[in-house]
Parts: sequence; C-alpha cells; structure tokens
Amino acid sequence: MTKLSLDELDYRLIEAFGRNARISNGKIAKQLGTTEGTVRTRLKRMQNDGLIAFTAVTSLEQSQQNQMAFIRAKVEITRAHDIAGQIAELKGVEAVILTLATYNVLVVCLFDSVTNLHELVSNYIQKIPGVDNILTSIAVKTLKYNPKIGRLIAEDIGKI
Amino acid sequence: MSEKAATSKSDIDDVDRAIIRLLRKNGRATNQELGNQLGLSAGTVSSRIRRMEKSNKLRVVAVSDFAAHDLNVLIPVMIEVSGRPVAEVAEELVAIPEVFAVHLVTGPSDIDALLALKDHEAVSELMLGKLSKIEGIRSITPAIAVEVVKYGFSVAPIEELGVMA
Repeated sequence: MTKLSLDELDYRLIEAFGRNARISNGKIAKQLGTTEGTVRTRLKRMQNDGLIAFTAVTSLEQSQQNQMAFIRAKVEITRAHDIAGQIAELKGVEAVILTLATYNVLVVCLFDSVTNLHELVSNYIQKIPGVDNILTSIAVKTLKYNPKIGRLIAEDIGKI
Repeated sequence: MSEKAATSKSDIDDVDRAIIRLLRKNGRATNQELGNQLGLSAGTVSSRIRRMEKSNKLRVVAVSDFAAHDLNVLIPVMIEVSGRPVAEVAEELVAIPEVFAVHLVTGPSDIDALLALKDHEAVSELMLGKLSKIEGIRSITPAIAVEVVKYGFSVAPIEELGVMA
C-alpha cells in the first residue's frame, strides 16, 4: 500500500473532473485559481499512481440489466483466486471481492430478470469446480453508493 | 434544445456504442482522436456525446481508487435487523461516513453494506463505537476483503453522478 500524498488541490481536481472529465484543463485551472500546467502535472501524477482514471459511465436506469444482486460463494481456498477471476469475466458481473469469511467470494452483479440471475448462479457460477455453496441477496433499494470510487484496474481503464 | 429529448433505449445506436467503448478506456480522448479511430468527424463525435449526456444516458467522469481516499480496509457486511423497521436502521448506517454503501436486500440478511476504512484500528472504533450503538441490529456478518478482483465503474444510477459542470 503506497503512502498517500494527495493534497487539497488534488481532491478538488478529482471532484471537478468527477462532474465532467471532458472539460479542458485550462477551464478547471481558472475555476480553481491555478494554472493549466499545474492541473496537467497533477492529473498525470495521479493517473500514473493509479489513483484516478477518466471513463464513461452509462445510466443504470436505461440499461437493460438494472437490478442488482449480491452473490456470496463458498469456494475452495486454494482455488479462490482463479475462481474469482473466472467469475469476473461473466456478463453482468460488476464487482468481485475475495474475503476472509466462510463465504469467501463476494460477487455484485447486474441482471434484468430473476430468470437470468438464476441462470448466472446455477448455470455458470455454481458449475465452476471448487464452488460449494451460494447465498444470493437481491437489492430492493440502494440508499448509499458512490459510483466514482472503486478499484482501478489497469486493463479495464487504459492510461494515456 | 433543437432536438427533442431522446429518452428511449433504442436511441443509442452502434456508432454511439463504439464511442462509449472508446471513452470507457480513455474518457479524455479528444473528439478528433475518437473520430479518427471510428472514421467520423470530430463534430459528429462531439454532438453524439453531447446528445447522450443531455438525455442522461452517459457521463464521462474522473473516477478514483479507494486508495486515493486512504480507504485501505474494505469490509462487506450482511446485517440482520429485528425489532425495528429495516429502513430506519439503514438510515442510521447511511449517516456514518465509514459506511461506503448501503443496500436494502431480500435474502439471507436485510441490509448489505460496504465499510471502507483507513486501517484496522478504525475497524474497532466503527464496530464498537458506532455500529453496536444502532438499535435494531441483530447481527453483523463481516467479511474482510483480501483482494478486490473487480470493482467496476461502467454503469451507475445517473443521478448519483451529480450535475454536469
């Protein structure tokens, strides 16, 4: 874990570009009372450190898969990493977290119908060798969530 | 405002999807760069992006890693509630800064939440100082994250992304 060295201006940049990443550096510099060169340097450093990225986010409401489920799988520990990797490739899977718990793989997925959720669980996840038991919860209401903070993985969002 | 507000799903065509695909990889690619890759003019790229933004289908934003916010310990929790409405308990959770996400669920528990903290010291403070004081929580089943294999950004409730600058 690298030690953090972000300051107030860095966080203001994250916030400003978090509203719209396609605004020019010059315009944001003006808003924040700094120079275009400072903005450029700061962004570059944070990108190189893997702390920020610029990406497209599409509307959940207008997506066909607009319901969310949490799937917890109890998997063989020695295979957990590989299994998590396989699950991450499945359609609709938005998050995969390996945990220290009896159910050691947590999957967050988006789905369009209970039939398709059932198919994802029974025909795909449950059939992966090493997957034992599965618990499924369906989100009925999301009260808090920040879609702009997550885990940046280099292959998903390219650096410039 | 000359175009009528486009709201149905079918309004996104293959060209739009190609633009979105490139923007997912690099949200700051210039209209010219995107146009060159897709055989379109910069103007076409620009107006298509603007149309999708205006109709709330798309946002191009800066996203940040948990590490940028010094959130180094992630703990998904399942919470069971008894003797009190689930929504009331959930509201108290929402107010706690270390509680990163709160979802009401049906299934083995009542609430699914994600705790995001600076270090392990902060865990006991949160658990003993805040969570244990919420009335109505019958049980908390935590799972300390050892590796985040994937935690995507591709789709989100558009209002959660805020008003565009």
